[in-house]
Amino acid sequence: MSVYLLNIGVFICIYGILALTLNVLIGYAGVFTLAHAAFFGIGAYVATFVAMNFSASLVIVLIASVLTAGILSLIIALPALRVRDEYFVVISLAIQILCVTVFSEWRSFTGGLGGIVNIPLPELFFGTISTPMEFFLLALGCMAVITVIIGLIVRGSFGRSLMAVRDNESAALALGKNVARIKTLAAALSSGLAAVAGVVYAYYLSFINVQSFTLDTSVLVMAMVIIGGTGTMFGPIVGAALLTMLPNALSYVPFLPPTEIGSIQQILYGLAMILMMIFRPGGIVGRSRSKRDEK
Amino acid sequence: MSNYFKGIGVSLILGLAAATTAPAQAEEISIGGVFPLSGPNAIYGEIFQSSLRLAEDHIKDDQMLEGGMRILYEDSQALPQQAVLAMNKLVSVNNVPYVMSAFTGPSKAVAPIANRSKTVVVNGGGVGPDLAKLGEYFWNVIPLANTEMRSLLPYMVEEQDYKKFTLVYVDDPLGEGVLEVLQEQLPELGASLVNKYSIPATAQQFGGLAAKIRNDDPDVVFLASYGDQQVQIIKQLRQNGVTARFASYSAFSTPTVQALPEAEGALYATQAIDFEAEDAFTRRFVDDFKAAYGKLPTVYATNYYNAAMVFAMLGKELQSQGKPITGENLLELRRATESFNLVGGSVSFDEKGTLIAPIQIMEVNGSGSKVLKIGKP
Amino acid sequence: MVLLQLLVNGIQTGTIYALTAIGFALIFGSTRIFHFAHGAIFVIAAYVFKFVIGDLSLHWGIASIAAVSAAVLAGLLVNFLIYVPIQRHEGSYFTVFVASFGVVIVVQNAIAMIFGRGFVAIETSLSNAVEVFSGLFMAPLFGIVIACSAIVLTGLHLILTRTHFGIALRALSQNPELVRTFGLSTRRLSAYAFVLGSALVVPAAIFTGATSGLNPSIGLHIMLISLVATIAGGIGSIWGAACIALAIGVAENLVLWQLDTQWSEAVAFAFLLVFLIFRPAGLFRLASTH
Repeated sequence: MSVYLLNIGVFICIYGILALTLNVLIGYAGVFTLAHAAFFGIGAYVATFVAMNFSASLVIVLIASVLTAGILSLIIALPALRVRDEYFVVISLAIQILCVTVFSEWRSFTGGLGGIVNIPLPELFFGTISTPMEFFLLALGCMAVITVIIGLIVRGSFGRSLMAVRDNESAALALGKNVARIKTLAAALSSGLAAVAGVVYAYYLSFINVQSFTLDTSVLVMAMVIIGGTGTMFGPIVGAALLTMLPNALSYVPFLPPTEIGSIQQILYGLAMILMMIFRPGGIVGRSRSKRDEK
Repeated sequence: MSNYFKGIGVSLILGLAAATTAPAQAEEISIGGVFPLSGPNAIYGEIFQSSLRLAEDHIKDDQMLEGGMRILYEDSQALPQQAVLAMNKLVSVNNVPYVMSAFTGPSKAVAPIANRSKTVVVNGGGVGPDLAKLGEYFWNVIPLANTEMRSLLPYMVEEQDYKKFTLVYVDDPLGEGVLEVLQEQLPELGASLVNKYSIPATAQQFGGLAAKIRNDDPDVVFLASYGDQQVQIIKQLRQNGVTARFASYSAFSTPTVQALPEAEGALYATQAIDFEAEDAFTRRFVDDFKAAYGKLPTVYATNYYNAAMVFAMLGKELQSQGKPITGENLLELRRATESFNLVGGSVSFDEKGTLIAPIQIMEVNGSGSKVLKIGKP
Repeated sequence: MVLLQLLVNGIQTGTIYALTAIGFALIFGSTRIFHFAHGAIFVIAAYVFKFVIGDLSLHWGIASIAAVSAAVLAGLLVNFLIYVPIQRHEGSYFTVFVASFGVVIVVQNAIAMIFGRGFVAIETSLSNAVEVFSGLFMAPLFGIVIACSAIVLTGLHLILTRTHFGIALRALSQNPELVRTFGLSTRRLSAYAFVLGSALVVPAAIFTGATSGLNPSIGLHIMLISLVATIAGGIGSIWGAACIALAIGVAENLVLWQLDTQWSEAVAFAFLLVFLIFRPAGLFRLASTH
């Protein structure tokens, strides 16, 4: 049974990392993107490629994945972030779809629809990580480090600039902030760190394929951030924990047919998103509507 | 506001309650089934489960296993990722020694887990040729595409005089496997693969494809697809003027294709199973199936019944020898066993764990199929 | 000859896309609400039609009326139950968009649970293609699609230019403050925009069901095309949206001449990316004070 719990724990941490990093864009920079799963995927595929062809050392793989995802994000964001926010949503959607097509077709790198099997175990200087407990500690450690990194950045001057851009872009521009550069840096940071989740995921399952990196995943992570609370430090983690445990909790409800659990889960978080936006846009952890209005 | 906390609280409590309940029944043996139970390929899951229900009943009636046997089903949706998650659950949480799998892609994805955890995985429906190379813990109770084609293609080229083939294939491991087989076998027979079209597994619209195929003007359009999609391909190609003969691997044996008017005349190969055989084992299966579902079983249904029976037979022998039923012991015993009496007759596994069986060639005739020819194994 | 066939196929696909896009363009143009749930309305209309004509075996006229009623009702419900409350207190595009997206997810899964996740088609002999001349196959359905779109587009044009209501809608999309100054209720006009926009989706939904078939996730795909078409066509311009949607449909099919089907969707979007980055105001820029 503890294996079962550790398994859930690893996934909570992986999705926690994704939610935390997406929050940097949605919650702090005010940039709405649907392409997060694509960078999760890029991280996972690069990690797999490096681990299977060069070295399974965790450090090397992490560096390679984070850099690749960050640089790719930079290249895409530079031109794309010049457009209005609403248009950027559509662009991010287009990027997500393009990436999924590339993941499915670039068979030599990604294994296509069949995916890649037999990914080796991660190696650290003191040995390999192989038991569920070790993987859980790895995932937890990554999530903790990323939380600290994001926390430091958000409380620093970059974080303040981000929030200024989010709250009133024209005012920020008037004050001399290079809005495009700030948003692009935020995107690179967010995508680069999201790749860490991809690394842990690939190592843990020993198998990856394009299905884990589709629009559905982007939407799921977005729901985690929104339900947990955008613009807060722990909101995304709460959202990730809730939505990851939801299908497991649902499978114990006796009258639900197991094949419909996926649909029911999505209906529940769809409804949660709608209700949240009407009654409590700040999410579970965020300030309630009345307090926000008082501001 | 308090509603939200209530919601969190309830899920946490449910989660904890689930976590602290120990898995039940120490005595009853569980085996796993990772099948598409939902989605466009759910029809296959239904087919497999229909005969596995009979297997469970017969195993219970014959009291083959002490403590009884239960099959735990997980939904793979015929997708590799879901299959991996399902397999992990069956292996780490339910500790099953034996899992039945279907579809080439998902099977390839779970094979490493099988080998690593020493769990036997048995495939009764996928036919990608790679499935023979997935390790000692991966067994096949169905002949694979290369074997099927080795009977079907000579029939088409030599006896029907078809020389120009076009292939429409899903770009997943099964489709790629069929492509390789055709590329290898057609030139040997003096025929040629005029063109090949790869389609996404989710494609539903084939008007453009029809235009390009009409341009090729082939004798045969070979399909490597499944489920809802292959029905759409056949229908839309015919509606848009493609007159070539259709052919495929055993996927055409599904009820939806059998009943499709546009599929009339389509050729396919499957394992030859003699449903008229006189032995009691076969008769019980066929008669009970007919009584329960009102029709004869298909090859796929039979394969999974056989897969469950193989487990029961091996398990029974292990129990009588006082050995625990683990994947390792099952593998060792299977290797030591000459042959198995399954539905359709006596069959044996080759050293790579794939069943050796004769092939038959069938033609869809609008209300089922008729057998045209039976080849040697 | 293959190219000509692909072009004809593309025109049919593009026309259906155009019909979907103008509904969204009308709503977004008039109300500036990021009505992502338009895709959900499409799915509802399509499945209602399929249910009435297929499972209940009623005449297609009845099925159409059922589909239009369902679409309009759904559109109004989404507007009044979701958008209006949000706009009352905050109404940033983000909040509205997220709620709208939530609607798409809920509807998609509800339909999947009721009708199954697999593929569903509206059976009709009208989709049997006939060889018009050597190498070119066309189905009667093609003619119906073209004729219907012509009627719808003409009708819409007349409404928007000749009726008070239509002119008010156009005014709303250009300058809502001025509309209010003239004593018209923007709230009521927005509701009418939703009624008209949602009804416009129905012919496209029916034709999609008859040509390429339906599955519950088709709402997202449709929404994509409509979004791209509306933005690249120029916000507020219905003709712009229709043109771009037609172009996307044609491009998706022409691409098949050289590439496999996997790339057709991606190419349409690569096309968008380039367009948006180099001409962000869209094809037909319309001045507005939004």
